Parts: sequence; structure tokens; C-alpha cells
Amino acid sequence: MSLSVIVLTALVAMPWWADSGWIRWAVELSCYIAIAQMWNLLAGYAGLVSVGQQAFIGAAGYALFILCQKFGVNPFLAVPLALIVPALLSVPTYLLLYRLDGPYFAIGTWVVAEAVRLLTTNLDYVNAGAGLTLRVMAQYRLHEREIAMTMLSGILLLVTVGGSYWLLRSRHGLALTAMRDNPVSAGSQGVNVSRLRFFVFVAAAVGTGFAGAIYYMAQLRITPASGYDPKWASISIFIVMIGGIGSIEGAIIGGLIYFFPDRFFSQYGASYMVVLGCLTLFMAIYARGGIWGLVASRFDAPWFPVGRRLALPAAGERKPS
Amino acid sequence: MSLGEQTSSMTGNPLLSVQGLGKAFGALRVIQDISFDVREGEVLGILGPNGAGKTTLFNLISGDLATNTGEVCLSGERLTNEPPYIRCRRGIGRTYQIPKPYGGMTTFENLLVTAMFGAKLDEDAAHRSCAAILRECGLADKANRRAGSLTLLDRKRLELARALAGDPKLLLLDEIAGGLTDQESGELVDLIRRIRDRGITVLWIEHVLHALLAVADRIIVLNFGQKIADGHPQAVITDPDVRRIYMGIEA
Repeated sequence: MSLSVIVLTALVAMPWWADSGWIRWAVELSCYIAIAQMWNLLAGYAGLVSVGQQAFIGAAGYALFILCQKFGVNPFLAVPLALIVPALLSVPTYLLLYRLDGPYFAIGTWVVAEAVRLLTTNLDYVNAGAGLTLRVMAQYRLHEREIAMTMLSGILLLVTVGGSYWLLRSRHGLALTAMRDNPVSAGSQGVNVSRLRFFVFVAAAVGTGFAGAIYYMAQLRITPASGYDPKWASISIFIVMIGGIGSIEGAIIGGLIYFFPDRFFSQYGASYMVVLGCLTLFMAIYARGGIWGLVASRFDAPWFPVGRRLALPAAGERKPS
Repeated sequence: MSLGEQTSSMTGNPLLSVQGLGKAFGALRVIQDISFDVREGEVLGILGPNGAGKTTLFNLISGDLATNTGEVCLSGERLTNEPPYIRCRRGIGRTYQIPKPYGGMTTFENLLVTAMFGAKLDEDAAHRSCAAILRECGLADKANRRAGSLTLLDRKRLELARALAGDPKLLLLDEIAGGLTDQESGELVDLIRRIRDRGITVLWIEHVLHALLAVADRIIVLNFGQKIADGHPQAVITDPDVRRIYMGIEA
């Protein structure tokens, strides 16, 4: 926990000790970790395997650009306002898809994301396929922008990673963890699985949208092809599968593993993607719990302890772990 | 066969009422027009050959499966269209024939889920209740072990303990004694007696006859989704039809 505070403080202080290239990397890495953490909540805990989270990334990104460029809202105030759009989009999406199971649900989320992308591509109001540019950012000096971006990234990690930790330590986290391990059993033991799934779907849409808004604010430009790019789904799946599904630590480890090789090897294009795919496949077959699963099976030292223990032998007392 | 007269002598109000229950998977009718009542404090055994529809009957009562026809009522309250979590909160606790623990959680946490969401206890009360149940079921020393690492026998104990954590009025036990030694099944029978003595009604599917007969007040027998016998345990197991169908003994 103390390490988390140090990392967050270092991140927010980056404009005073790091150069612009490092700050850009830190903002992007924060976005990847946040998106993966939200996908982990969805797929790892609620059992909702979505390949359409890009719908919320693009929707929040576009909402931010529209608020700033069309309505003149301060861009940093527009970020929280933009989150209303993925929240609103997630409700009908869930109501449309929640009866679908497993792969059918996954395909449904992809179809919704594609439909939103096509809709955006054909909307003249948002400059159709050509996309939008965040010109209002030009009014701020680079240093001011960097302060704002690192602050927003810090808040993003606090909300997504810290929020996941808070959720999983709560009584609802107990139910979510039970759902992760056996949703049928959880339902027969009093857990309202449908309601929790709905809550997680909406929360993940908002968290994912938050990351999307920050990511495209840093890029200063959004198009339907980039904002609704299915690569966001591939990245989320890779990060969580490699890091360890069903754990907060896994999404962080996977995010780091994805991000740094991506900086250096993405120039190899398709070959690099094939290697990433093979690595995901290897982990899915031989280490389904990912890297964190391998670590946790040997050492009982979680970075984010969410379990509850019974104090022994004085049964009846409790000692939070 | 009708052994219903013998059940009419039982005292107590019906806790569970199952009327005209039916379930089909496509053309296969797994449960056909089954009706019975279970009185408060009763231990009702369910017998039948494999594929008779016993576990499906449990799934219909617990809400894991939706019924095609018929009604399920608990304490006079209609639960037929309620989801499993509501039925659990109304007082139906169940175990699974193939244990379904939350493998990544500890034994203690497995019980906590049911205590906090099924019995709706606050966390402190749930801790106390679960600790007591773990001791009663012989799992206290494994409270902080991951449920996924438990042996099959301990997983079966965990199923029972978890169901009890929901403070049930009606407990559905699905082949909980399978694979136990004589001594272990004796301990289980003692535990079920204690559970019954606390006023919990028990519906028990079991192939370990001596364990079931040691505690059951009444037995019903299913075959091909139909109820073929219902009555006092001794009367049921000596019935020629039951002996032929269930035990393969010709009269």
C-alpha cells in the first residue's frame, strides 16, 4: 500500500522531475492499466467477457472533444462530464446483452462497439471519419498540460485500481469474488448475481471511458478508427491473461509487461502481434492464473490484500488480513 | 404405490409444498407431475436410481432450474418464479452433489458469503456464526485454507457448513454421505440429527441407505421423473416395486 502511495506521488510530481517523453509514457501506461483493471473486473470477477470495451473508450473520448470544441467547456472539467456518456451507453448495452452467455455476450459487445463506431463515422457533427482535434489545449503551456495530465492519470489509477481494491474489500467484493469462483453457487447462496453484474458493467464502462478520455486528451486527436479500435480489447485481454485474471495485481503486472516491450518491438508490426498472441495462448494453456497466479501459489503476500481470515484458535474473533 | 396414509399421521405444518412439478429438456421429461409436502422439522429422504430426476427436483426447488409446470411454496409463500438468491434468503439452503466451493477463497470466506448475503447478517455477526458452524462441522482447523485445496470429504463438509451459514429453514442435501467411511457417515448422521433438533427441515437425496434410514422420518422414491413411493422408511424399502426398481431385487 505504501508503495502505491509512493508511485502515485511520483506520477503526479513527474512534471518537476521527468522529461515530456517519460510523462507521455506514464500517462499511456496509466490508461492501459486502468482499462485492463476494468476488463479484469468484468471478465475476471463478473464473468462478463467483453471484446467491445472500445465502445466506451471512443464514446468518452468523443464526448470530451465535443464538450471542449463545440461547447467551450474547460477540458479538465470536461473529463468528469464526459464520463456520463459511457455510463449512459452502458445501460442499454447491458440490457440488450445480459441474457447472452459466454461467447455470445462477447460477440454482442463487439457488435455494439462496431455499431457505435459506424454511427460516429457517419455523423457530420463530429466530422465523420476524419475525426476531431482538441485545439483548445493549445491555450495551455506544455508544463501546465503535463501537470494536468499527470494529475488526471493519478486520479485515474486511484479510481480504477484503488476503486477495485475498495470494492473487493467491501461486502460486495466478497460476493464478487464468490461470483468469480462459481457464479451458480453464489446465486444459490444469496448473492444477487444479475444485479452485481449490471453494477460492474456500468462501473467498468465509466472507468474504461475515464481512461479513454485521458488517453485521447493526451493524443490531442480522435478518429472513429482509433477511438473504437478493437485493439483496445486485444490489449485488455493480453494484459489480464498474462498478468493474472481475477486479481488486482495481475492487471498491473500485465500492464507493465505489455507496455515496455510494446515501446521497443511494436515496429515489427504483425510479427510482434503474433508473438503477443502466442504468449497469451501459452499462458492460457499452461498458467491460467497468469504471472500473479504463479507468484500467489508460492507466496502468500498479496500487494492488495482483500481476504478475510478467521483468527485461530480463538474462533469467533476476526483479524482482517 | 400409495403409502400416503402413513404420512398423514405426521404432525407439524407443511414447510415446503411442491405441487404438480414438471420439467422437460426438449422431448425428455425429467420430472413429471410430482407433488409432496414436507412438514416442519421433518427429515425427508429421496431415493431413486441414477437419472430418476432427484437432483433436477432439487434444482427446481432451489431455483437453479426454472419449472415448466407446477408450484413451489415455502411456508405458504409462492417461490415458483423467484431466482435462487431470493429462495436462499427465504430459507432454502442447499448443497451440491458435486461440490461447488469458491476455490480461490478460504473455507471461512465461503461461509461468510452465505451468512452475509443469504442470512443477511452484518459482518461481525456473520464472523461469529461462521466460526461456530465451522467448529460444528469439523472444519475450524481448515478455516483459513483455500477451499480449492480441500480434500473431497472436506469439500462435502464445506457444502453442508456453507448451507448452514444461510440460517436455512429447509436444507437440501444432495448425496452428502457419498464416499464417507462408516464412522464418518455415523458422524454425519449425528450432525443431521442435531440440525433437525434445531428445527431445520431436511430434504436428503442419498444412496447410502443405512445413513438415510438412521435419520429419515419419511422417504419418497423417484423413477423416470415420477414419484413411485411415499411413506415410512421401512414401508418404502420393503415395498416390492421399490426393491425391484431401486435395488434390483425381484419379489
